[in-house]
Amino acid sequence: MDIGNLKKHSDLNFKVAQAKKNALERMRSRQLMAYNERLFVADANTINLVSTLKQQKQDFYVLDVNDNPCHITEPQDFLDKLIERNQETLNAYQQLHQDLATKRS
Amino acid sequence: MTTGVLIYCFDTPEVWYHKLAERCIEQIKKYLRLEITVVTDITTFKRFKPMGMINYKLIEPSLGNRRSYRGKGVSWLNMERSMAYDHSPYDKTILMDCDYFVFSQNLLELSRTDFDFMLHDKVSDISGMDMIEGVDESVLPLVWATVTLFKKGDKARAVFDMIKHIQRHYAHYRNLYRIRYTNYRNDFAFAIALHQLHVGDFIPTPMSMLSDKVDVIDSDELGIAFKFNNDVNFISGQDVHVMDKEWCNG
Repeated sequence: MDIGNLKKHSDLNFKVAQAKKNALERMRSRQLMAYNERLFVADANTINLVSTLKQQKQDFYVLDVNDNPCHITEPQDFLDKLIERNQETLNAYQQLHQDLATKRS
Repeated sequence: MTTGVLIYCFDTPEVWYHKLAERCIEQIKKYLRLEITVVTDITTFKRFKPMGMINYKLIEPSLGNRRSYRGKGVSWLNMERSMAYDHSPYDKTILMDCDYFVFSQNLLELSRTDFDFMLHDKVSDISGMDMIEGVDESVLPLVWATVTLFKKGDKARAVFDMIKHIQRHYAHYRNLYRIRYTNYRNDFAFAIALHQLHVGDFIPTPMSMLSDKVDVIDSDELGIAFKFNNDVNFISGQDVHVMDKEWCNG
């Protein structure tokens, strides 16, 4: 491959990487979720934590993104909302990821 | 508890900020559907097109501050933001630059939480060129005053009183925090106030930005098309701070 083609590949890969980074930023922004006046990220960590605590207790405390405690009295409602937001954002990201894969090939 | 958006907008000889504000307000109406108050001067007010239910507060801005924009020195009417606590008619206020464009409901989500003072402490350059953040600008943990949420109460009042004090003694604080930038800048004043008072929460995701080296070539209600180094790109579904001030002028 000559240097001209290598440059084209490099430019394309930069664009794809940047588009992916922007899409991930957008996804993470949309995963921010208010619950009981606290702020959470609807990501795998929060979902796992809430799911695990829910198996042990009917109500419990968790820390939000700014380390403020939040009393969770309806764990199922909280978990449902977290999963819904998580999947909504991941679906949007998955669609863009597919588009990027097409661009690369 | 009332929640609304507060925008400061003053036209300068170089930039018609009211054009940016009109676009900004359209986006707020679409995505946030909150009440909006615009603090402006009489000259700028007369240039606004009719936009429906908007509250206006007319003041006389302090003149004299300047900044560099695309290689030129331009007027910068940015001193009034320290009065936001007094100017806001809302319990919870989203204080926003008129060059910040919302394309999502993220701010609405943030406004539903309990906070005293919340803003960004990180930015992300959408172009990927990392042209926003300077190096060694100060010895201060920098924050971005572009979009700030505050709830009326003792803590938020203290922050704004502190900002007013910093504004009056800016040379001292600039020296104290070894700020390279010579002119008064709200980002630094807000950062100093938060550092002095040990208050404030941060928005956990970075603020997306397009630097003034990037040209915005078009926008609709979904997103913004921009051009940098002959590459055209489009960003959608994400709130953006746009530093190109001329794109709304057509």
